[in-house]
Amino acid sequence: MKLKTENVERMYFRTGRNTNFFYAVKSLDFELKEGAVTVITGRSGSGKTTLINMLCGLLTPSSGRVMLDDKDLYSISDKERSLLRNRCFGIIPQGQTGLQCLTVAENVLLPVSMYGRIGDKENKARTLLEKLGIDDLWDVYSNELSGGELRRMSTARALINDPDIIIADEPTGDLDDDTTKFVMELLNDYAKKGASVLIVTHDKDVLPYADMSYTMENGVLKEV
Amino acid sequence: MRFSVGIACKNIRRRPVRAALMCIIVLFLSFTAFMGGFLITSLQNGLDSYKARLGADIIVIPSSAQGHGTVDNVLLQGITGNYYLSKESLKKLQSIEGIEKSSCQFYLTSAKASCCSARVQLIGFDPETDFTVMPWINNSIDTVVGDGDVIIGADIAYPADDTLRFYGEKYHVAGQLQKTGTGLDNAVFTNRNTIRKIAQSAAGTLERDTLKDIDLEKAASCVLIRVKDGYDISAVADDINIHVSKVKATPCVSMIESVADGFENVSVFISIITVGIWIIAVVIIIAVFALMMNERKKEFAVLRVVGASGKMIVSAVSFEAAVISIAGSFFGLAVSLLLISPLSESIRLSFSLPFMQPDITTIIALMVGAVIMPVIIGAFTATLSALRITRNETGLLLREDA
Repeated sequence: MKLKTENVERMYFRTGRNTNFFYAVKSLDFELKEGAVTVITGRSGSGKTTLINMLCGLLTPSSGRVMLDDKDLYSISDKERSLLRNRCFGIIPQGQTGLQCLTVAENVLLPVSMYGRIGDKENKARTLLEKLGIDDLWDVYSNELSGGELRRMSTARALINDPDIIIADEPTGDLDDDTTKFVMELLNDYAKKGASVLIVTHDKDVLPYADMSYTMENGVLKEV
Repeated sequence: MRFSVGIACKNIRRRPVRAALMCIIVLFLSFTAFMGGFLITSLQNGLDSYKARLGADIIVIPSSAQGHGTVDNVLLQGITGNYYLSKESLKKLQSIEGIEKSSCQFYLTSAKASCCSARVQLIGFDPETDFTVMPWINNSIDTVVGDGDVIIGADIAYPADDTLRFYGEKYHVAGQLQKTGTGLDNAVFTNRNTIRKIAQSAAGTLERDTLKDIDLEKAASCVLIRVKDGYDISAVADDINIHVSKVKATPCVSMIESVADGFENVSVFISIITVGIWIIAVVIIIAVFALMMNERKKEFAVLRVVGASGKMIVSAVSFEAAVISIAGSFFGLAVSLLLISPLSESIRLSFSLPFMQPDITTIIALMVGAVIMPVIIGAFTATLSALRITRNETGLLLREDA
């Protein structure tokens, strides 16, 4: 699946002494390469998270279009966009995103149970958790996990539906070197199978896995 | 839908304290809705019944009887009394102009001793002239009140052997009257011959022998009067008070007005408390749901990230709120049903007002209302809060949280 932006911009208002607006992402044309790992680095506040939120259909651009194949993500209904996000995207958001009312297994299987039956996906979930080294936490509630365990759980949840597009915001934050390696190898495997993988990070250890690398500065994306 | 229901149930199970707190707030809503409705309906029924039972335009009693045991005390609270009009007064009453019908009643209190089955107010009426008790009896039972028969009020336990004993003599219970919600539910009615017989047996046994100087053949405790058309009721009552000595004539409308005023005050009081509690509870529910939804912004954002539509999240929140509200409403209803009897009794005694429970259809309607209203309010406020949050862009929610 082809994901690209056409002249996308996102503006935010800031209130304060000098009430004003600023562009977090400026006039951006970008296409995510299929079957490759793309890494975007940049300083905090450079617009990386805003960009990936727009790419996932979670944040409407102020102008421009985000195209998934021939569909403009923001001209379709919320229901249709949500279904696309569930079926085609695997998203690892920034921060801790475990649902506390669910166990690790339920969290990982959440995208599956949302629109269908879990069926054989349970085995898939076990395999993913095993690869990420947290299979022993299967029926533990997510509020009992450490930061690193939660990151890995979010990674497994993003991969459970075998998505065509994987978008990860700091997937290796909170992780030690060994676990970072496991996570990156796993994401790399998905890229090799044809998925488009986009990673936004500060972590320099991720760069060796990148097939394409960009840096973002003041809302402008530059190929490295 | 299956997903929304599942996630809502898991949220309730994993957050029992939060769910219980919401349940308690809804319980108050349900309790006040049911109890408020029940008490006001019961008082209104009691007032209607009281109006129906008075049936006369003027009631004449001995002036010495004012206070305890007067007709309104008998009607409202079942306070018993023995008092009698003099022969002269009764004779003088006949000469008052404007009286269409009049009927005497004879009051006698049974004793709380082995000679009597219970201490009750015995009311003797004259079936030939009566126009207040007979219509009521005819509505309640299908039998003629003969000599030696008594009819008992709705609150008196029906004796297994169909007899009651007064001053050593047994009397046949011919029937039981419909409930009125007034003191008459604790009274025993009989005809003039029978009350005369009971009074003869009682003579000399009463604590204060009020029957000593009474001519039992002609005596009466009160006279109920219906005024002729075209005559002013108050003017006729005034006429009686001026021309007949040692009596007090009271227009029934003023008795009804005084009870209606009491009813008005109590129902306004109950309504204010009910509305007050509702306003507080609704404000608390709105505030709690708004806070709860705010606290759950991140949870909603995560659900959006994995593909939930706004509608799915709103459905889950509405279902969760509906389940909590239904549970709270049923608990509220259960508490209300447990407290109905003691609270009703205490209200009846505190306010000295006629009190008659509504029929089963009205009670069921009140129960349904007490469940549905809090459920609608709970689910509605939760849905509104969820809608407000899901309208925000998920990217911004994630940004707030990051």
